[in-house]
Amino acid sequence: MKKVDSFKILTAPAVIFVFVLFAYMLFVYIYMSIPIFQWEGCGIYLTNIWHASEIPAEEYYGIAAAIWGSVYTSIIAVVIALPLALSYSIFVNDFAPPRIKNAVIVTSDVMAGLPTIIYGIWGAYVLVPFLRQWVMMPLYSTLSFIPLFSYPPVSGYSYLSAGVLLGIMVTPFASAIIREAYASIPHTYREAAYSLGLSRYEVTRIVAGMIRPAMVSGLLLAFGRAIGETVAVSLVIGNTFNMSISLFSPGYTISSLIANQFGNAFIYEHMTSALFAGGLALFVIGTAINMAGLLYLRRWKQNVKF
Amino acid sequence: MSNYAIETRNLKIAYGKKEVIKGVNFKIPEKIVFALMGPSGCGKSTLLRSFNRLLDLNKDARVSGEALLFGQNIYGENVDVMSVRREIGMVFQYPNPFPHLTIYENIAIGLRLNKIVQGREELDSRIKWALEKASLLDEVEDRLDDYPSALSGGQKQRLVIARVLAMKPKVLLLDEPTANVDPVGTKNIENLLMELKKEYTIVLVTHEPAQASRISDYVGFLYLGELVESGPTARIFENPKHELTDRYVRGILA
Amino acid sequence: MLSFRQIKDKIFVGLVLAGTFAALFPLFHIICTVVIMGLPAILSRGLVFFTGTLSQGGIGPALYGTFMLAFLSSLIGLPVAFLVGLFVYEYPESKLGGFVKSLLQIMLEFPTILVGVFVMSIMVIPMGTYSALAGAFALAIIMIPYVAVYTAEAMHHIPTTYREASFSLGLSRVKSVFHVLVPMAKRGIMTGVLIAIAKVAGETAPLLFTAGGLYETYPQGVTSPVGAIPLLIYTLIQSPSPADHATAWGAALVLLLIFIGVFVPIRMSLKEVKM
Repeated sequence: MKKVDSFKILTAPAVIFVFVLFAYMLFVYIYMSIPIFQWEGCGIYLTNIWHASEIPAEEYYGIAAAIWGSVYTSIIAVVIALPLALSYSIFVNDFAPPRIKNAVIVTSDVMAGLPTIIYGIWGAYVLVPFLRQWVMMPLYSTLSFIPLFSYPPVSGYSYLSAGVLLGIMVTPFASAIIREAYASIPHTYREAAYSLGLSRYEVTRIVAGMIRPAMVSGLLLAFGRAIGETVAVSLVIGNTFNMSISLFSPGYTISSLIANQFGNAFIYEHMTSALFAGGLALFVIGTAINMAGLLYLRRWKQNVKF
Repeated sequence: MSNYAIETRNLKIAYGKKEVIKGVNFKIPEKIVFALMGPSGCGKSTLLRSFNRLLDLNKDARVSGEALLFGQNIYGENVDVMSVRREIGMVFQYPNPFPHLTIYENIAIGLRLNKIVQGREELDSRIKWALEKASLLDEVEDRLDDYPSALSGGQKQRLVIARVLAMKPKVLLLDEPTANVDPVGTKNIENLLMELKKEYTIVLVTHEPAQASRISDYVGFLYLGELVESGPTARIFENPKHELTDRYVRGILA
Repeated sequence: MLSFRQIKDKIFVGLVLAGTFAALFPLFHIICTVVIMGLPAILSRGLVFFTGTLSQGGIGPALYGTFMLAFLSSLIGLPVAFLVGLFVYEYPESKLGGFVKSLLQIMLEFPTILVGVFVMSIMVIPMGTYSALAGAFALAIIMIPYVAVYTAEAMHHIPTTYREASFSLGLSRVKSVFHVLVPMAKRGIMTGVLIAIAKVAGETAPLLFTAGGLYETYPQGVTSPVGAIPLLIYTLIQSPSPADHATAWGAALVLLLIFIGVFVPIRMSLKEVKM
């Protein structure tokens, strides 16, 4: 006789609820996107046109600029986050005296949890003017022949501002993963390397080489966080339908596009569906990147047995 | 009703593909101390846990063959696992009274949650009775509302025994109960077991042959998952039939 | 005379220190800026800042709304999260258990704006109004994975021997888990709950299209709109009025203090947190 497990009966509804909720969420994004695909096909993702009109036949939405902006700012973010997170992990594990070590870790954890709107207000008032004056202006005035620096930094709201702010915001997430991985390398390897007469730099390079997969997953997860971030980005990116490689150009991201347009989208026939299609893209990209990061991390944790 | 408290018939236990108990057969008469001895890793703790169906908690563990409790196969089809566990009390190697409960509550919890006693008075008297049986009442009577962290290792272990006795089990299983207890505490627990065997069947796992010879009536020697030899303690220690047993009881193998 | 190798080593140490500094310095700058900008706004308006409506120069309704949303979202999210966490703990090797675990991790990383838009389409549109309930539901979805993961982890930290002891008393799984083991893990579970509440109290994006915002009167009930401090800040920064900016900084200081007040004490009593 197989007895029914009353524990399962008690907990299963909650588990099913979470599953159904997530599946329903995916369903809603797909279902709500269908009208725009029917209206303009893949143009929604492939073109950079935002033509809202009270005459439905004239409406056309292409969010390529926002997709580009999301990816571009997230790349800038991880390019900034990786060296910082790696330095932090080396400092915490190898250099910091115990008391400082704890303070440093707590600081990083506070940064990970800090309300994003606080980053946003600081970014808009402090970071953007700072970057404009000390980074963008000098680079533009000297190196504007390089496409990367070719856009005149009029307002300062730009891919670069968004990328730097995101970089600051996601560094703690990458840090937590890399620090943990770095700490998991047994001390004996460090001793072995030192005993060969190697310098600190050389020893660290060997040890850091052992956690390369964890760095990759830290990068992926940081990218996943960055691409989903909304309010802080929308306050510093300029919210303009640009599609440019120039760092100083204002732009859009999918999430800031939704944040800015969704409230009024119901006025138009197709805009809501267009924004849901944007959400669907974010859903798919974000989930895929995060899953890759988590899988990578899990596999590393399983394979590495020191 | 069988005359034996516990009997195994070709009992095999495996974790995943690794077989740790390779088909053992023995019979444990009622109201005696039966000691299962053997070197660490021989499977004695696993075997002991199988009598309480505690291996059910481990997804990898597979049990085949039969283990009979008073003639009833506890791995049979219609067995109520929870009532089997109530009839067989288990004491663990690490003294594990629940740290978040008071001494009183530690004993009360099984009685309350299993709805064994009704009312505060009956509960009080059952708890006193169990502490008395576990020879702990004198030491803790005036501090029943303290937490067990204040107790010594030996006292903690006797509290665990009281927790088990309160359920009025028929069989007591003890997994190296003195391994984490100082010599004085060990002596107290051994004396207690000698007392308890008048009413209960006791199965004791130990890795010390000396302890087995001190307090058991029957002994089984387990080596690499096989029961090498079992029988009356005096006979096994004085005249072992198997060479491995001989070497073990003389302390060479351990 | 330093060799090339020694110079390289010095540079390396310098870079590590500089990188660590760059990673952490923003927090100090943020805290200082928020205090410098926010404190005058609060001090000049006094108690009105905490109780008054927006036109009176206060954030009273938003403050109230934040607590209301935190409370409501806990009411919705915690029971679900707690049970899911226990499920994950009890069936770690089962297929479903592993699946749920992965889902929770994906939800931890999930873009919060998408949760807000989802809740708008399943609650706000059918109900015909923004509401505290919709905002709280969105926050509950964000809260669930945190609490579930913390619950499962707190349970994992209980040594196996207590689990065995509890089952060996003949208790059912329900009784063992709920009456013996959960009380043992109470502290760890509470930690997760508090961290999750601190987290959702600071969320903005999920509230954008769900809570509606309400700053001139105090909330009427769960089915009508509410404001929240993060949402208010987001609205005010985009306003051209300097008075609004001052209010935004004051509100940011309040939010920062709430977050640090909840988060730091918990964090100090712990080894590890997961955000």
